[in-house]
Amino acid sequence: MTSNANPEPGIGHADRRWLFEGIGLTAVIVALAILFILINPRFGTITNFINILTQASFIIVMAVGMTFVITSAGIDLSVGSAVAFITVVAFGLIKGGLNPLLGVAFMFALGAFLGFLTGSLVAYVKIPPFITTLGMMAGLRGLALVHSAGEMHFGLPTSVTYVGQGVLGGVPVPVIISLAAAVFGAWLFNRTRFGLHVRAIGGNREAARLAGVPVNRVEVMVYVLMGLFTALGGLIMMARIDSTQATIGTAMEIHVISAVIIGGTSLFGGRGSVYGSVMGALLLAMMTNALIIAGVDFFWQLVVMGGIVLIAVAISNLREQRIPALAHFMRREPPGGAESESARRPAQKQGGTLS
Amino acid sequence: MTRENTGALDAAKVLNVVGLTKSYGGLKAVDDVSFEVFEGEILALVGDNGAGKSTLVKALAGAQPPDGGRIEIDGVLHQLNSPRDASEAGIGCLHQGLGLVDTLNVPENVFLGRELLTRLLLVIPQLDHRKMRERTIELLDGFGISLPRLNDPVIRLSGGQRQTVAISRLLLQDVRLVVMDEPMAALGVEEGRRVLELVRTMRDRGISIIIISHNLEHVFQLADRITIMKNGRLIGVVSSAATTRDEVVRLITFGAAT
Repeated sequence: MTSNANPEPGIGHADRRWLFEGIGLTAVIVALAILFILINPRFGTITNFINILTQASFIIVMAVGMTFVITSAGIDLSVGSAVAFITVVAFGLIKGGLNPLLGVAFMFALGAFLGFLTGSLVAYVKIPPFITTLGMMAGLRGLALVHSAGEMHFGLPTSVTYVGQGVLGGVPVPVIISLAAAVFGAWLFNRTRFGLHVRAIGGNREAARLAGVPVNRVEVMVYVLMGLFTALGGLIMMARIDSTQATIGTAMEIHVISAVIIGGTSLFGGRGSVYGSVMGALLLAMMTNALIIAGVDFFWQLVVMGGIVLIAVAISNLREQRIPALAHFMRREPPGGAESESARRPAQKQGGTLS
Repeated sequence: MTRENTGALDAAKVLNVVGLTKSYGGLKAVDDVSFEVFEGEILALVGDNGAGKSTLVKALAGAQPPDGGRIEIDGVLHQLNSPRDASEAGIGCLHQGLGLVDTLNVPENVFLGRELLTRLLLVIPQLDHRKMRERTIELLDGFGISLPRLNDPVIRLSGGQRQTVAISRLLLQDVRLVVMDEPMAALGVEEGRRVLELVRTMRDRGISIIIISHNLEHVFQLADRITIMKNGRLIGVVSSAATTRDEVVRLITFGAAT
């Protein structure tokens, strides 16, 4: 226990190790980019890179929120439907003459309310997140269709479309917004009490509760935060194409969850990386872009994306030594070697023998 | 009921439990149990599986409020309806699972639920990782312990190191009484010895300790007094200096002194 094998105190960041994993992913992205450029120089233009960033922007924003959800050992399948519902309602109101600023504020309020509803069902009614958000996914899509079935909305005021189409200092506004969301999300995740509590309830809910973490309230807040990021993502999306419809955002949850999982956030909860999620979203956008440039059919793009997600989870499981057959080869010896392997699990009650 | 409160009577009574009762359905898991713990005393709680030790501990931890009886700390009656109540009353608990979050690092575990904050741009509260880290090192230094890699998730630590982290957590809370459930279980010989030392150091600082253990060797090495439970009842309190291991085994097994 007083092992001074490595007395170097180690400085700085709380989750540096996960940052390293993010750097690994960054290296993959850079390597792939170089490969794509070698295959087709058109891929390597500045315009194309800005394109990729713009296309990734709303996925990045929602992936930041999803990082909190998944780290808390939850999941949110309803983000695509929520985007549809929030945007069709807001679009209708703004088109109906509501002040655009109030319309945008309403989007965030609605997103937060939906998150509050989801979070309350998860935390207090104890419906598993998967089921709760599956229900929300169907219900919100239904409401969006009820609200404007078959209708396609066009023609937002320029003050709103600026969010999706504007350019500031040569950089598209959606890119700036998504980067700001990512920086804010990373700060919230790593440097605030809320972020610590999210990581704690995902890692060991009971231990967090015993330590005095208000687990239910934190869980509700996680989904409220997801709702806010969903509203922001929806706003960017709607402003960029200056339209929305009830079927918008179909299967978007797959992209968002994939980005987070590729980024190294554990589906089992407890640990995650906002930086990784951003990189995951970029990787997906880059792959899609490269496939489009290569003229690959949309249906095949989905197949490729599915493959990437499965490979990413497989790698993550290997790293976490969850595959018994391979764990032996991947194991990093804990200090104390094999003997402490059993000692790491003091929770297991010993047999009923005395003396 | 045999009672031999030798020695400890001059010290202040930290914990006084009177007539504690807890039933599950028709089963009385803890049946009218009364005992006390004095300042700076190590009291061992022994008994076979199902004797009621865990239920008693849960009542003290605020995890499962009892059906009846009184719990007094420093002479003040306390209702322990939640872990927070227990913590505020000055009772710290070391559960079998230690209550650590495997994915968090050492300072994060030590300070979870009572984080130190600083202000970003003078207004926005954020975690003071540096100060939490420094305080953690101070706490550990106080026990002559140095953990390598404080920034690693605690799942990477050995069993004894995890014990240290859990105990550091308790020390941060200015506890009067620490309840430890099988603290030496599943530890190697050397690690168990170090935890033993840690328990003594805590006692030397005036903290009272209730320790549950199946290992009578550890019980005799540590405890000032030993309480024996059987079928939910407290059947004896003996001074460890004035009894033998055989005697305690006999009480545990047959419930009667010879």
